Amino acid sequence: MRFTMIPRVFMQMFKKPWTNKFPAKYQPSNTTKYLAEVSEGKAKINPPIETPPGFRGKIQYDREKCIGCQLCIKVCPSGAIEFKPDEKKIKIYVARCTFCSQCNDVCPVNCLSMSDEFLLADADLYSKDLIVE
Amino acid sequence: MKKKESVKTTTKTTYQIPIGPIHPALKEPVMFEFEIDGERIIDVDVSLGHVHRGIEWAGMQRNPVQILYLAERICGICSYSHPIAFARAVENACDIEVPERAEYLRVIHGELERICSHILWAGVAAHEIGFDTVLFLTWEMREKALDLTEYLTGNRVTKAIIMIGGVRRDITSDMVPKVQETLKYFKDNFEKLRHIFLDDKTVRLRSQGCGVLTYDDALKLCAIGPTTRASGVKKDVRVDQAYAAYGDLDIDYMTPDVLTGEVNGDVYDRIIVRLLEVKQSIDLIEQCLDKMPSGDILSEPKIPKLLARVKKTAGEGIGRHEAPRGEVIHYVKFDGENDNPYTWKARAPTYNNILPWIPMLKGEQIADIPIVAASTDPCISCTNRVTIVDNDKNSRYILNREELHRMSIEKTRRLMK
Amino acid sequence: MSKKKMSPEEIVKYFKDEFKAKVKDSRVEKRVAGVKKKEFVNIWLKIDKSVFKDVIKHLCDIQFPHLAVVSGNDLGSTIELIYHFSLYYGERLNEVSLNISVELPKSNPVIETICDYIPGALTTEREKQEMLGVKIKGIPDSRRLFLPDDFPEGVYPWRKDETGPKDMVRNLHEVKK
Repeated sequence: MRFTMIPRVFMQMFKKPWTNKFPAKYQPSNTTKYLAEVSEGKAKINPPIETPPGFRGKIQYDREKCIGCQLCIKVCPSGAIEFKPDEKKIKIYVARCTFCSQCNDVCPVNCLSMSDEFLLADADLYSKDLIVE
Repeated sequence: MKKKESVKTTTKTTYQIPIGPIHPALKEPVMFEFEIDGERIIDVDVSLGHVHRGIEWAGMQRNPVQILYLAERICGICSYSHPIAFARAVENACDIEVPERAEYLRVIHGELERICSHILWAGVAAHEIGFDTVLFLTWEMREKALDLTEYLTGNRVTKAIIMIGGVRRDITSDMVPKVQETLKYFKDNFEKLRHIFLDDKTVRLRSQGCGVLTYDDALKLCAIGPTTRASGVKKDVRVDQAYAAYGDLDIDYMTPDVLTGEVNGDVYDRIIVRLLEVKQSIDLIEQCLDKMPSGDILSEPKIPKLLARVKKTAGEGIGRHEAPRGEVIHYVKFDGENDNPYTWKARAPTYNNILPWIPMLKGEQIADIPIVAASTDPCISCTNRVTIVDNDKNSRYILNREELHRMSIEKTRRLMK
Repeated sequence: MSKKKMSPEEIVKYFKDEFKAKVKDSRVEKRVAGVKKKEFVNIWLKIDKSVFKDVIKHLCDIQFPHLAVVSGNDLGSTIELIYHFSLYYGERLNEVSLNISVELPKSNPVIETICDYIPGALTTEREKQEMLGVKIKGIPDSRRLFLPDDFPEGVYPWRKDETGPKDMVRNLHEVKK
């Protein structure tokens, strides 16, 4: 049977495509203009697929609970956490984070957790959004 | 009538032209140098090392918990196999026990990764033949497996689920229905996949009799994984040694004679072996879900205690695992003074599967190079940049990836007529 | 040439009987796994450099072994090479991992090749030559494998002494944040 794929290809013409069209159906001709329109409310962005619970996104830090034990610094594989000795708190550089959540597991007071934010791209690696402290 | 006398020599007259690692057409660089006569390949030379990243050296400056994440990033598609082999090596060296529930969970994640990897390979092999529709079809199936991985571990590719002494996350009873729903989807669609690959005449014409690796060659060159099982050699770490929960499960070697009754060692046999392994993996995950014992998932939940224990032990150990591409082995040695390992050697499966390329490619046509190289599922991608030495015309010309791919598609069209 | 399967202790005894004092150390480790507690075996043997080729020949007589990889250690004044073999594959739960280690003095790090018995050892022997500075006698192809061709001679990345790559490393993580 030579052409096993032809019936399937034919059926595909009548089915809805499986791809989720995030953020827009077709690529806009001018991206900055499109983003300006979205902020004014004139255009819409299709939302991305929902993340499941337990997704490892951007890290969140609860300053009050932290005791400054530095265990998270010891297990971080990429050296993304820095200790601030005068305050005994930490500073996390999300640009170097590998999102492994090992620091969450190690922390004895559970002050670190992972959110479900993943749209983190930025041109400046040390911008305000990418430093958690 | 003029009689053309052609003197064929097999001495290499090539010299190195630096067609370097950084090039717009390259994905993962491997350089081949072929010596051809007309369209037939006479001799092959492989040169590697363009993606050498110094990972073992970086590993020796870190403690074992950090090395787990470093090992995960050695390869994107076998990103579960390297951490588990490393964790087993450390557990072997320091005599750390793994609870039974954790061993079953490790098997489930390993088999899920095998399904993802083999389906990805099926799509890539179809793309090399020229069948792009099948590429999109199989990768759509793979999305379901990746969704399940994201649900169970938190990320689609870098799972970060292994810890020395167990696993980090459990599969609770409310997660089990989603696992079973995905398995049911795979069982329903497996027949579709098998029908496309094994019954289609085009695939058979391109792959049968092509890229043959004999039983003796596979044994002598220490080939591993589906490449060697397709030639009839029965080597599979899961069946040979009892590790994780494989000792309790019902598993057997997958060689092509399970399906067709004969062993040829060509590309078609490798397709058969990989599809049979997908079916086997689905079956193994079901067995694990049935038989999983209860208990805790980590033998030492407190990381500082674990690191202190590693620091005091002096010893060496090896850890082996059957990745989708073959056997992964890691060797680690601790000296008892600090928790960084004294030596760490990681060996990926494609390391052993490079030498078999040479007997497989001799005697083939140039247009077959992509499919034969892709059939061993190399983790350093298929040939990208190929230098051809044409003996008759005494010229050298360079074929890049697009041209190789185009030639492969043209051969398919020729065969279809 | 015995074709019946030997238990791990018998394998160790076989080598000790053949080579007497040249087998310096041996260790048989058994671990269990899973609910049914099936065991798997690791054998570690330490042999002298002079009988290395004979040991490999005897090993090939038991069954054609599977060479996984050769790993190397820098122990100060000697270099230790460990050959990781495995035997008795092909039948369910029968495999035994056999690790043979050989020590070479740093003043004369020469060892013979095993490519005539096991052709698949070529890749791993080439890697040891460039990474540790071991000279392998009789190797069919002694070009560099992983390191680039313009890497300086005499620098061996796995060594921990002065020939290591310390000056060539750029620590990116210490770059100012």
